[in-house]
Amino acid sequence: MAEVVFDEASRIYTPGATPAVDKLSLTVNDGELVVLVGPSGSGKSTALRMLAGLEPIDQGHLRINGRDVVDVPSKDRDIAMVFQSYALYPSKSVRDNMAFPLKMRGMDKSEQSKRVNDAADILGLTEYLDRKPKALSGGQRQRVAMGRAIVREPQVFLMDEPLSNLDAKMRVQTRAQIAGLQNRLDVTTVYVTHDQVEAMTMGDRVAVLNHGKLQQYATPSELYDHPVNAFVAGFIGSPAMNLMDLRRANGAVTLGGTQVPLAREVADAAGSADTVTIGVRPEDLSIGGDGDGVKAVVDVVEELGSESYLYAHMAEHPDTTLVVRGPGRTKVRYGETIAVRVDPDAVHAFDASSGERLGS
Amino acid sequence: MRRAPLLPALIFTIIVTQIPFLLTIFYSLQSWNLVRPGSQQWVWFDNYVSVFQDSQFRGVALNTVIMTLGSVLIALVLGLVLALLLNRHFIGRGVVRTLLVTPFLITPVAAALLWKTTLLDPTYGLINFVLSPFGVGEEAWISDFPLASVMVALIWQWTPFMMLLLLAGLQSMPTDQIEAARMDGAGAWAIFRELTLPHLRRFIELGTVLGAIYLVNTFDAVYMITQGGPGTASANLPFYIYQRAFLGFDIGQSAAMGVVVVVMTIIVATFALRLVFRSFGAAEGSN
Amino acid sequence: MATTTERGPATATSEPADQEIRRSTRTGPVLLTTLTWILAIGFFFPVLWMVLTAFKTEGDAQSSPPTFVFTPTFEQFATVFDAGIGPYLANSLGATVISTLLVLLLATPAAFALSMRPVEKTQDVLFFFISTKMLPVVAAIVPIYVVVNNVGLLDNIWTLIVLYTAMNLPIAVWMMRSFFLEVPSELLEAASMDGASLGRTLREVVLPIISPGIFATALICVIFSWNEFFFAVNLTSANAGTMPTFLVQFVTSQGLYFAQLSAAATLAALPVIIAGWVAQNKLVQGLSFGAVK
Repeated sequence: MAEVVFDEASRIYTPGATPAVDKLSLTVNDGELVVLVGPSGSGKSTALRMLAGLEPIDQGHLRINGRDVVDVPSKDRDIAMVFQSYALYPSKSVRDNMAFPLKMRGMDKSEQSKRVNDAADILGLTEYLDRKPKALSGGQRQRVAMGRAIVREPQVFLMDEPLSNLDAKMRVQTRAQIAGLQNRLDVTTVYVTHDQVEAMTMGDRVAVLNHGKLQQYATPSELYDHPVNAFVAGFIGSPAMNLMDLRRANGAVTLGGTQVPLAREVADAAGSADTVTIGVRPEDLSIGGDGDGVKAVVDVVEELGSESYLYAHMAEHPDTTLVVRGPGRTKVRYGETIAVRVDPDAVHAFDASSGERLGS
Repeated sequence: MRRAPLLPALIFTIIVTQIPFLLTIFYSLQSWNLVRPGSQQWVWFDNYVSVFQDSQFRGVALNTVIMTLGSVLIALVLGLVLALLLNRHFIGRGVVRTLLVTPFLITPVAAALLWKTTLLDPTYGLINFVLSPFGVGEEAWISDFPLASVMVALIWQWTPFMMLLLLAGLQSMPTDQIEAARMDGAGAWAIFRELTLPHLRRFIELGTVLGAIYLVNTFDAVYMITQGGPGTASANLPFYIYQRAFLGFDIGQSAAMGVVVVVMTIIVATFALRLVFRSFGAAEGSN
Repeated sequence: MATTTERGPATATSEPADQEIRRSTRTGPVLLTTLTWILAIGFFFPVLWMVLTAFKTEGDAQSSPPTFVFTPTFEQFATVFDAGIGPYLANSLGATVISTLLVLLLATPAAFALSMRPVEKTQDVLFFFISTKMLPVVAAIVPIYVVVNNVGLLDNIWTLIVLYTAMNLPIAVWMMRSFFLEVPSELLEAASMDGASLGRTLREVVLPIISPGIFATALICVIFSWNEFFFAVNLTSANAGTMPTFLVQFVTSQGLYFAQLSAAATLAALPVIIAGWVAQNKLVQGLSFGAVK
């Protein structure tokens, strides 16, 4: 039962250079599953390793359950970690791998084997207990790594891209298993991934990082509906949000000859700037049947069955590209000109230079 | 504290390998013959002057270069051929490799004796028997071609090492590269020249440097097969210095020769080794 | 009709002719394989010839043309044992085993310090170790002889042990370092989070992973120590002489009798040949100071 607080915590590899993690402030509530997500080099893994005690905290504080752990070695932080490579001990059997942290804590033998058996039962590893990691499949190894973490009954679970070595199908399956397990055990969990789909599907809350800085920390739906800046808007969602720098005039922007009105508060927030960054998600664009709307020429059609995505460029501005969600089994073909309609209520607007969200 | 585990090995190595060398420099500045007690006195650079005036020393130095480089290069070429042959799937590959590696393992003194007696003997030797259909009679290889006889034994022992090294090189080559080249229409020779050889380059460099380091110290083969003779026709520097020190008991002279050899080796080797280990990235592993 | 009635289980399981696996019928690979075998046997033959000669009578051994068919005899081995091979064998064994143990004792912590938690100037230390292998041994033999003579350790097995340890230490440090580097750092992090102390981590996590490497390093040290001749011939005689010096002494005292010599050479070479066959995959790694995995 624990709460984790990053309080302006920084990791600076070389003094003077950009910090790997820059004044990160973040609270993970008891029992919550928080996902740290960002592109490579965003500092998400470093932040996790700071919490794990594998990287020093150069500035700021880090508290687990109110206790400042900056100077506490990782073995005394009562945390367990699942590594990207699983880090299973190759010479030990599955049983001994899972029992190792208990043995190191001097737990008595019967309690050790009870916990290992329980964990193996939960994870479906009972019949593999006497095998060496070498003789297991990728998914089984992943579960052993999970098992080694849960036998500890730690205050906090840390997971560093635990699914990245699995194939696509295993990944979806294990994703659900981990989320289910976390719900059931109700242990505070910090989970790192570069995959925004994983972040959105698993996290109670998601922290988006970029260049060592926290961009936004919110629930998945909040991130999706109200990204605080153009980076978050572009990073969350697949296919990505269409982002375009557009000239504004008279409280509206012009998109391919079509006027898109801006909300008053957006216009107020934009001040005197003459361009704004406009963001529209593919599903907020639709194909107009009767020819009104933005004219665009289709370059690629991605047919997914239940829906389709049309990658197109504007007829009048060939440099501006758009992704439009269309219906499943679309009749539209490569090279066709379509008319795209914009839902004005679904338009996001960002400051063209800072990328900050304009309006609410 | 962190370097504590390193210290025993480091101190031991410094004491056992560096102090004798410093003493060698010290002795090289003195005239000292063990057979004449009390002959020890400072003569400064006189020993070095006579080393450079010694025409035998120059001949022996040349022998050393021929023996080292010749053996290394021939062993490399033979090793490359064998490595290419072994880098295929065929029946008994493991056995063939084991057979081929054996000459490298055999105690050099035993190998030298083997060549001197049962193989190169003019009357009873296997070599003359094998070559007799080609009109070779009772050829006395060891007295007629002393340097070459020693080198044959060395090449026989070192070809397996080159083979193992180059085989490791061949096996570290990604097969998809070769597959891609084949689909691009490259024939076997083109693949060898355009892909295999460039990939092997650093392994060939490593083989040259390591072979040279080990072979420049050759003593056993010279000692057993020819005793450096006739005259100094097949003597190399280690054997010549040994003769001066342990048969002539001339400590000062042999120490001076030792210093000259070390200086020459250091010049060649530091350069070559840095080059090779840089290209292997063994140096960067620390971080 | 006969074929159907006589079709037993053996023929029933064999594949029908039309599904036969197509096999390569090209002659190129066959020729190359044959050539490889011929070369391999050619390279190996001198060793085989040595062993064969060891089982011949002196008359069969020194005959022209060479004798290929003969009745094997053990008399040569008997002669070799009568010539007092025992102490030499014991000295070789002692010098080899003790120096190898010393090397492992010194090299393991050093390699650990140079790999898993690299100290400052790691590069310089590593290159210092190799550079000692580049100094020609002959340059050091004079003062070593003088010093050893002065302290009365000439013809003493411990002199060889110390020198062999120094001779093999650089190879061992480089080789073991390359094994330590193969241990993934995440494994050490996992162990430290699991609460294992450094000693515990080394013993329970690292050691099982690198023990094949330690074994290979040991075998290579054994090969080099056993085969060493230069120090042995210059610093020892009857008391501390090793197998290579026994061969020399045997030639001197018995003369060049091919069969006897071959028996002695076979005995001297055999242990190392076996050790080398076991370690052949790691030979290159040892000799190249770990540069080639």
